[in-house]
Amino acid sequence: MTPLLEQFISEARDLLQGIGEKLLQLETSPGSPELMKELFRLVHTLKGGSGLFEFPEMTRVLHAGEDLLDTVRDGRVAYSESLADRLLETMDFVGLLMDEIEATGSSSAAHADYSAHLAKSLQQLMGDSGEVKSVESVPGPAKTAAISASLSLALSELPAALRMRLYRDVMAGSPLSWLEYTPEADCFFKGEDPLFLMLQIPETVWGGIASAQAMPPLAELDAYRCQLVFRALTAAEPAILHELFRYIPEQVGITAIPALVLAAPHDDNNGVPGSESDVDGFRAIVQSQREILSLPDNDAWLPGRLQSVAATLAACLRATGRKELLASLEKSLALALTEVKALPLQTWLDEFLPELPEKEKNSQTCREVPPLPRASGLRAALRTSECSSAGFTGQPLPETPDNTAPAYEEPSVSTASHPDVEIKFGRRAEDSYAVARTLKVDQGKIDRLMSLIGEMVVAKNSLPYLANRAEAQYGASELAREIKAQYAVVNRIAEEMQDAIMQIRMMPVSFIFQRFPRLVRDTSRKLGKEVNLVLAGEDTEADKNIIEALADPLIHIVRNSLDHGLEPPGQRRAAGKPAAGRLSICASQESDRVLIDIADDGKGIDPDIIKRKAYENGLIDEAMLERITDREAVNLVFAAGFSTAAVVSDLSGRGVGMDVVRSTVEKIGGIVTLDSEKGRGTRIRLSLPLSMAVSNVMIIVTNDKVFGVPMESVVETVRVSRSAIRSIQRRLTAVLRERIIPLLSLNDLLALNVPQRANEDGELAVMVVRVHDDLIGVIVDDFRETVDIILKPLTGILGGLPGYAGSALLGDGSVLMVLNFRELI
Amino acid sequence: MAIEYQKNTARFDGVVGADEAETLLEWLQKHTKGKLALSACSHLHAANLQVLMAAKAQISAWPEDEVLAAWLKSALAQQELNQ
Repeated sequence: MTPLLEQFISEARDLLQGIGEKLLQLETSPGSPELMKELFRLVHTLKGGSGLFEFPEMTRVLHAGEDLLDTVRDGRVAYSESLADRLLETMDFVGLLMDEIEATGSSSAAHADYSAHLAKSLQQLMGDSGEVKSVESVPGPAKTAAISASLSLALSELPAALRMRLYRDVMAGSPLSWLEYTPEADCFFKGEDPLFLMLQIPETVWGGIASAQAMPPLAELDAYRCQLVFRALTAAEPAILHELFRYIPEQVGITAIPALVLAAPHDDNNGVPGSESDVDGFRAIVQSQREILSLPDNDAWLPGRLQSVAATLAACLRATGRKELLASLEKSLALALTEVKALPLQTWLDEFLPELPEKEKNSQTCREVPPLPRASGLRAALRTSECSSAGFTGQPLPETPDNTAPAYEEPSVSTASHPDVEIKFGRRAEDSYAVARTLKVDQGKIDRLMSLIGEMVVAKNSLPYLANRAEAQYGASELAREIKAQYAVVNRIAEEMQDAIMQIRMMPVSFIFQRFPRLVRDTSRKLGKEVNLVLAGEDTEADKNIIEALADPLIHIVRNSLDHGLEPPGQRRAAGKPAAGRLSICASQESDRVLIDIADDGKGIDPDIIKRKAYENGLIDEAMLERITDREAVNLVFAAGFSTAAVVSDLSGRGVGMDVVRSTVEKIGGIVTLDSEKGRGTRIRLSLPLSMAVSNVMIIVTNDKVFGVPMESVVETVRVSRSAIRSIQRRLTAVLRERIIPLLSLNDLLALNVPQRANEDGELAVMVVRVHDDLIGVIVDDFRETVDIILKPLTGILGGLPGYAGSALLGDGSVLMVLNFRELI
Repeated sequence: MAIEYQKNTARFDGVVGADEAETLLEWLQKHTKGKLALSACSHLHAANLQVLMAAKAQISAWPEDEVLAAWLKSALAQQELNQ
């Protein structure tokens, strides 16, 4: 199931519920135009959504419903209760289809009939607001009669041998359907080819094409007005037929053929079971049952045979409308079964369906009788079905007559539509238990759950403290070990909970990516540039907050690329590049971070221009101008108030852009890096944490106080001997890994007038941190462990305090202040 | 060309689409005794079939495709009997 379909199902459920509510509200205030308008809008939306998929049944009824509501909204048809009933029924049907789609991923064609019928009944309501005919009238009796007229014509054309084979097949349970297809007059204009459709029907036994009306003289014929009628007799499964004609069910009648119709000759127009012409077939069947009953009684499968005979007779009785005899038949079957003798049934036959003398039979049917299912042939056929079908032989012998009742149902045939189509219909909302598999939850609840889990993560951190205390203070090392073991368990569960809540909050980056095609198209058109946008990794997921916070920075970056990066086509051609620029936005996941690369193949950033501009704007001094590397220079675009664009346009160039991008990304714990090569293009990489609920910090000690430092800014921790520290221009430096690292004392940064403490070997603890691509060594007193904490931003009066990222509770209950070196240094 | 019109015979070839129906109708109006050779026809759009039915056209050769031939015969052969 595609994400689009999933979304549709979830939305459609809401819409369905909304429609139901509106309909019920209309019951109390039927005249409200607002409600009507709202209802129309809901149905309209649902229909539009269903049109995206291959659900013709759903779209059809919704379309009819929409049309109907449109007329009601315009006041052409009055709202009535029967209208509401019909609409509710329609929505139940749509709900049923939704269930099926949700379960199987598609909707089956088996509903086409009902869908067409519903659509028709909705259309009827549109014509006159009065009462409509009941649902059960489909297919109407008139229609059935018309069909059987042409059916008997078809049957009379079938060779007798073929008809007998079909008869046996149908008796054995194979499907046989009569299909009549009357295409719409203007179907040719809709690109339909009815003949082609008919040729697709598998296992066609008989086919016929006729003209609905007499063909006009050639001169008056409109070649493109279809007046053909197609008929076919097919042994294909009804489901296949419904599937074939699922787009035009209203033009097709599909009828199951009962075996009885096949057994009788059909040279008159009245081939429906129960009419006089069936007498022969009926008698033939009765006769063969009689012969079956006259077989020796000592057979092992006598009970099965008796049931089969009774079932056949019951079907005959039902088909001929002599239902009053059913009870007595049942009684004699019960008797026969208890006595294990065929006699009771034989007696019943003689009593109620006496055998006609041979002569009378002939005189009654003076017409030529086609090869009838003579007793021997039929008996053979029945015997084969008896032996092959487990229903009769494999069953244990029924002990009581009650058990035999279901056997009657088996061979029963119906001239109405296929039973499996009907079973589920007429369903009402109250007997559907559609289980919604998606929950819509207020974000606040998720946030609360997340902060609770976060607190638990912190609380579990107190267990190691407890273990240490048990050991150190009370000398209970056994207890300490047990606490640690428990801690491991709690830790595992807490981590899984954390993972689960993260999964809930995860969102694909496509949420922000999806707006780019439009943005790029509009912007590039405005600028007269040609741009090929390439998106990749849209399904990469990250926390909802991160994704949402990312939207604005990304738009800034994309606009910058379009405006400053990519050149107009002429300039590109002159530079030997393809006229259309390439802008790629690519998301990927790398361990616990999401990387988003925005790259263009434009003119890149010229470091010299940046340097000059920065100097002119007073961002760097002369000395810096000389010193600065090209890479450092291009990163000056992130400095506040920087703009290279000569003209301020409505797109960019106001100097508020990249610095905002950087601060926004850093606020959510991300890092922005920029690489640019003059003439080749620019690449900006955003590296973001997957989530920001729990952060990992390193605890350090200075002046006997503990502080936290976010792990993502820590590069390494080293011990540097005092002798290795030099002072250059009154600033402390040390050489680490062949690089000069400036050293700063944390006490100085925090304005504590205390020297940093060294350890017994005279070494100072130096934490190397990355601040805006620079490495800086911060001298602290000591390092401690790293912990997972829930970082709470400082609020209120403390909110304005610079230098701190926030605070967190530690496992032992103390408050940990987390430093933000970017602000501190 | 899906239908090749010869002197008094229209020869169908391959798939004959709906577009051909108009021309076929005109041709049949001019050649009332025109014969139709369908042997090479693999499919025929229903619009063409309707024209053939209305014209009560004489089929000189049925399609080689047996299924198609059977269907066409059900529509056209009956008329021959009626005539």
